[in-house]
Amino acid sequence: MIDAMDKAAGISPDDALFTARRFRPEFVQGAEECRISVLHPAHDQGLAPILRVALARRMAALNADAALLEQYDTQLAQLDPTEQLLALARGEKDLEEPLATIARHVDLITLTPKRAEASHIALLAKAGLNNPQIVALSELIAFINFQTRVATGLRLMRSA
Amino acid sequence: MISSVRLKPLNWQPYIAPVELSEATPEQLNAMKVTPSAKKVSEYVRTLVHDPESYLARTILFNAIMYVEGGLARPDRELGALGASMVNGCKFCAVVHARRHAELTKSDDVVTALYLDEPEKLGPRDAAIYSFARRLSAAPSEATADDIATLRSVGMNDAEIIDLIHAISIFGWANRLMHVLGHAETGK
Repeated sequence: MIDAMDKAAGISPDDALFTARRFRPEFVQGAEECRISVLHPAHDQGLAPILRVALARRMAALNADAALLEQYDTQLAQLDPTEQLLALARGEKDLEEPLATIARHVDLITLTPKRAEASHIALLAKAGLNNPQIVALSELIAFINFQTRVATGLRLMRSA
Repeated sequence: MISSVRLKPLNWQPYIAPVELSEATPEQLNAMKVTPSAKKVSEYVRTLVHDPESYLARTILFNAIMYVEGGLARPDRELGALGASMVNGCKFCAVVHARRHAELTKSDDVVTALYLDEPEKLGPRDAAIYSFARRLSAAPSEATADDIATLRSVGMNDAEIIDLIHAISIFGWANRLMHVLGHAETGK
């Protein structure tokens, strides 16, 4: 059975890469469990899956990952998003709080993690996020940036 | 003659208050695999365990990617981690994995070349790994099929390249935690 990573990398079960990926079942299963833990966790810390999927879509676009973007667009559409969440997902900046602050942080950490400073975490707290939410948001951002790189690497292997 | 670079370990300080063991929930304790009487759990672990589900899932995946048997040699995984950490600006992670690379290879040569910004001094295999790590870590990625062809030309097979992609990518993750939720200080 193909998983989210195969889908993002355009791998089907008869591809050599499908088998090569399964040489590391702990990577395949581990990445899938991580995906669930940041996008559809049992306890969402008050950051609903629909917000998480909207942010994932925004980060897929920042990484110019068309396949992941399509995956998250499809998932978001199934969750019946509000206009604000759609705007967030599309990458808009003129949003209600705390979405505007969250969006600025997501963009900064995705594109220029080097520039991260203490003040950026203070802004999240000021926008009303508690410590578990700050950590959960950080893990979501970090996961999507992991996911797009694995998918990108696998796609390059297919074309090389 | 330039002397070799020897890096000292750094300390990591979080920007938010870590979970106190005395106040940790059973789920958090289980994720950290400790009992409330345990004394020494790092601030990094106690910071990330604010969200125990992602902490547990990521720790399992991270350990598999960096330490699983066979496949890509350990120093090559460390070099991938180091290249990513340099691009992402995580000084703490860079020092940890530079030191580990030097320990595993019993040589400071690669780390010295990278910290003095002289990647041209790397051998072909290290150069191919380091260049791919940097290019895949850019946001968006700047890696191309030519990078994969170069890795194959220095003798890497598909299983090893998949291991390398994961080592680089998991630092696209770890760097965005360590350098975002805290900062590195010179060790005491």
